[in-house]
Amino acid sequence: MKRRAIFICLIALLAVLPMGIAQADGHCEFADYTITIGGLAPLSAPGAVAGGVAMDWAFNQAADDINADCGVAIDGVNYMLDVVTGDSEGSPERGQAVTERLIQEDGVDAMVGVYHSAVGLATMGMLEANQIPTVFSEPWNDNVSANGILEYDGQPPRFEDGIDHVFRISPASSMVGSVVVDWLLSLGVDDVVMIVENTDYGQPAAADEAARFEAAGATVSKIDVELGTEDFVPILSRIQARAEAPDVIRILVTGETSFNLTQQMSELGIAPSEDTICVTNQFAFQSDQYWATVPDGNYCAFNRVGIIPSLFSDAAVELNAKYEEAWGDIIPSFAMASYDAVHILKDSMERAGSYSDAAAIVGAIEAVDIELSQGRYYFDYGSHNPDLPEGTPAFMWHQWPDPIVTVMQYYETGQSGLEAAVVYPEVYQTHGTGYIVPGTSP
Amino acid sequence: MVYLRQIESRIDQGIGRRRLGYIVLGLIILFFLWFPNDTSQSNYAKTVFISGFFYAIMSSSWALLAGIAGQFSFGHMAFMGIGAYVAGLIARDGIMFATLGIAITPESFSAIGSIIIGTLVAGLVGLVIGWLLLRLRAAYLALFTIAFSELFRIMMLTEYDYTGGSNGLSLRPLLQIADVDTARQVEYYLMFALLIVCLLVMHWVANSPIGLFLRAMREDEDAASALGVNVVRYKILIFVFTSMIVGLAGAIFYSDVGSERIIPEQLEVLQMSLIIAYAVIGGMESLIGAAAGAFISRYMLEAMREVVISLPFGLTTADGGDAFVWETGAWRFALFGVVMVFTLRYMRNGLLYPFITWFSGRDLAMKETVSKRDGDGDDIVEPMGADDE
Repeated sequence: MKRRAIFICLIALLAVLPMGIAQADGHCEFADYTITIGGLAPLSAPGAVAGGVAMDWAFNQAADDINADCGVAIDGVNYMLDVVTGDSEGSPERGQAVTERLIQEDGVDAMVGVYHSAVGLATMGMLEANQIPTVFSEPWNDNVSANGILEYDGQPPRFEDGIDHVFRISPASSMVGSVVVDWLLSLGVDDVVMIVENTDYGQPAAADEAARFEAAGATVSKIDVELGTEDFVPILSRIQARAEAPDVIRILVTGETSFNLTQQMSELGIAPSEDTICVTNQFAFQSDQYWATVPDGNYCAFNRVGIIPSLFSDAAVELNAKYEEAWGDIIPSFAMASYDAVHILKDSMERAGSYSDAAAIVGAIEAVDIELSQGRYYFDYGSHNPDLPEGTPAFMWHQWPDPIVTVMQYYETGQSGLEAAVVYPEVYQTHGTGYIVPGTSP
Repeated sequence: MVYLRQIESRIDQGIGRRRLGYIVLGLIILFFLWFPNDTSQSNYAKTVFISGFFYAIMSSSWALLAGIAGQFSFGHMAFMGIGAYVAGLIARDGIMFATLGIAITPESFSAIGSIIIGTLVAGLVGLVIGWLLLRLRAAYLALFTIAFSELFRIMMLTEYDYTGGSNGLSLRPLLQIADVDTARQVEYYLMFALLIVCLLVMHWVANSPIGLFLRAMREDEDAASALGVNVVRYKILIFVFTSMIVGLAGAIFYSDVGSERIIPEQLEVLQMSLIIAYAVIGGMESLIGAAAGAFISRYMLEAMREVVISLPFGLTTADGGDAFVWETGAWRFALFGVVMVFTLRYMRNGLLYPFITWFSGRDLAMKETVSKRDGDGDDIVEPMGADDE
């Protein structure tokens, strides 16, 4: 009986010990108040759940790292930081409702998010009305940062004084569009075939790129496909039957469908080939998935939004390692941006000397100058510099001007996305060449 | 004589219960009228209720169409979308009859004007679809409406130059109230009033001779037709009527009353299946049941986003918290699915059906009918006055 009692006591002690160690491990003294940041991400359908989960991970990783470094230090007092993520479901209606919950019930001091532009556009008014300093890390629509000047639907702005509390560190659509076209034109292509998914991503992107090609004198043939199609041989046979092979096949198709298409195109020897450049979707950067589905896809190029691996700072390498440990893949740009967004708010609150004075925090974000995983963050235009020079688009208001958009190219089968060559723009080239001809090595 | 007394007693019971039902209904309405004035409630709670009212209109009108009229349509969300998109596009672009050289500028339309036109266009499309559906029944009708619904959604998605694609279309705000708290209160009452009005009108239709014809058509279309019911007329009529109701609800809800913009994803089959699920859970053949099912389901789905289980006896979690917090994410839909499966297996008339039949006294009438059908000697109705002889 006695031995049994000792055994139970020992087990209880072992159970309690880690808790004690965990508390003793904290080397910082925190104030009673916990600063709460609201995160908005799609965590269930019909939203892009995979993207939302990665963003949620990044928000919480940022909070963990900040707390491990003694939290947010304001006037000598350390505050614990907590991120409460709300599920927008990718729907403006749910996004608005959840934003209201985060503001009113969770009492958030600031916000980060969102994935879908429609949710960003729908919640901006509420964030402005409630004076919540916000840093968006993924929506691309130009109007998200256009200070309410450019309502997409041509309606007058809801807020006469503009949207002052919302910032964006992801690129605007207009910043992304031109890079691939400029690269291909620099290579002298003049016969382009576009294979385009029949969605609001594929169609406008194709229209924008086709207009740029045609303005430069190139001819463009466009083939529409439905997402989810598995057999592309009829389409590809039409391309094969042409008298002359096209200079480039540009794939504006996302996800698994783009992988299927690229593989079938490579397998038939259409592209990449000596005559035809293959430009596939940016999803190719997720190299594990890419090579599993597209084993013949060597020498395909793809565009990449976000910092390129060769420019990864120590912070980016460390963050990528944590992401790989958690998810087994390279960190996507929007997860990096989401991580940085929380750090920008932390830094701004510290410089503002407050977690609750919205005007002071907004002023501090406008004046931000900080090096994080994606690079140096700053904002050229805001209330600190309200006059946009002529020719500067309205979306530059509260917009980080330096999101990196590049063209990358694989040159070895099974290569990691981190090792792929950056071929454009020239300033970021990693292998001293603007294009790696199939069969050669840079 | 004994049996007549039994009948009278049951009728009394029925009337008594119905009175009680009216009292309960009155109390529920009073609760909803009082709710926004409760200062402890946040705007978020009101937003959830506003959304609940909207889905209650959607589900109850679908119950009228499918549960009472027997037209199992998947096009309901599309008609809602037609109302909202037309209202938004007209308020933005106006109307142009190019061949006639007539152009009506957007400024000519108030928010109310664009909502009315959105509603009428939804009704007009309902008329065309209703006419096309005349010869289709059961699975063919469902497949047709799914195809129509997807067609409309893809149009809204790919014609992004006009509709905004997946960035959505922002409608002209119906209410221009600067103060957020006051705005939410007014939006709440507006949506609640719309729900009550829609329910009253649908109740009137369902309990009028038209409702009887619709039920007859649902049970046996050929027999109804043989008995003189103008099947063509009533089929089209109910399609137009429910299309207009959801078109109106969509145009109002997305005019910044419940949401600032509508997106094509809102019109997906998944969203439509939720409307059907709400109606099935509440009771497909009861307008109030379907409305209550939708409201309660929406509220529960929202409440279940985060499940908090407080730990007793001062126990703490590994990270020192006093409660386990479970972010349910998509799991709440799985739980919702379990409720749906349970309902379909054990309570096919809906979870609220027993309450509704009890309060209406309908269960007594049903017992009466069943006992008559079974020919129970004790319950044979004696001719009036037989006892006197």
